[in-house]
Amino acid sequence: MKMIRAILRPETTDDVADALTNAGFISMTKMSVFGRGRQQGISFGEVHYDEIPKTMILMVLPEESVDQVLGIIRAKSYTGNFGDGKVFISDVESMYTVRTGVKES
Amino acid sequence: MKEIIAIIRPRKVGPTRDRLAEIGLPCMTAVAVLGRGKQHGIAGEVNGELKDDAVTSIGQASMRYVPKRLLTIVVSDEQADAVVRAIIEINQTGKIGDGKIVVSDVRDMLRVRTGERGEAAIA
Repeated sequence: MKMIRAILRPETTDDVADALTNAGFISMTKMSVFGRGRQQGISFGEVHYDEIPKTMILMVLPEESVDQVLGIIRAKSYTGNFGDGKVFISDVESMYTVRTGVKES
Repeated sequence: MKEIIAIIRPRKVGPTRDRLAEIGLPCMTAVAVLGRGKQHGIAGEVNGELKDDAVTSIGQASMRYVPKRLLTIVVSDEQADAVVRAIIEINQTGKIGDGKIVVSDVRDMLRVRTGERGEAAIA
């Protein structure tokens, strides 16, 4: 299993979530975060913002679904400008459902 | 080292913290998050009590996301099982929305105050 952490524009996360629902990926966790990229924040005229608000979506997926989910995220979250975000993918050793206490794969 | 990410009910954070402190692992990070599971988000969760018909009434008064707490706990390999069992023991109500626990590997770690690396940074 893989865990993906997608850091996206807050305004696109609802579109991403709806598209994921339609594709059958319903379970997810989202949180508000602040971050910056290589551009070191953003400047509007005189005002410089060090950190930009983003939304992080966390999902645990079977390995074979990762590419499909990345495709959906990219299709819905892409604007072509700096700040579209990043997706981090990492290994998961095991997952448990608390309600049943069952270890899933 | 293992990183344990537990997504649990907000009201269970206190009991979970106390139980983990009992087994000698008081360190954790907690974040308020929103989430949804297979049920597309459910109603009646905010009060901590789940209505019997909550799952079937989706579409009428359901929430898109349910408020949850995400706990991040990093422990040594041997302790991981005990932590998972403790979290399940405290958080299991048998009703939908109890949450998930994800265990993954951590290769290295740094304690900022002392500069210790790896296992030494946990204890």
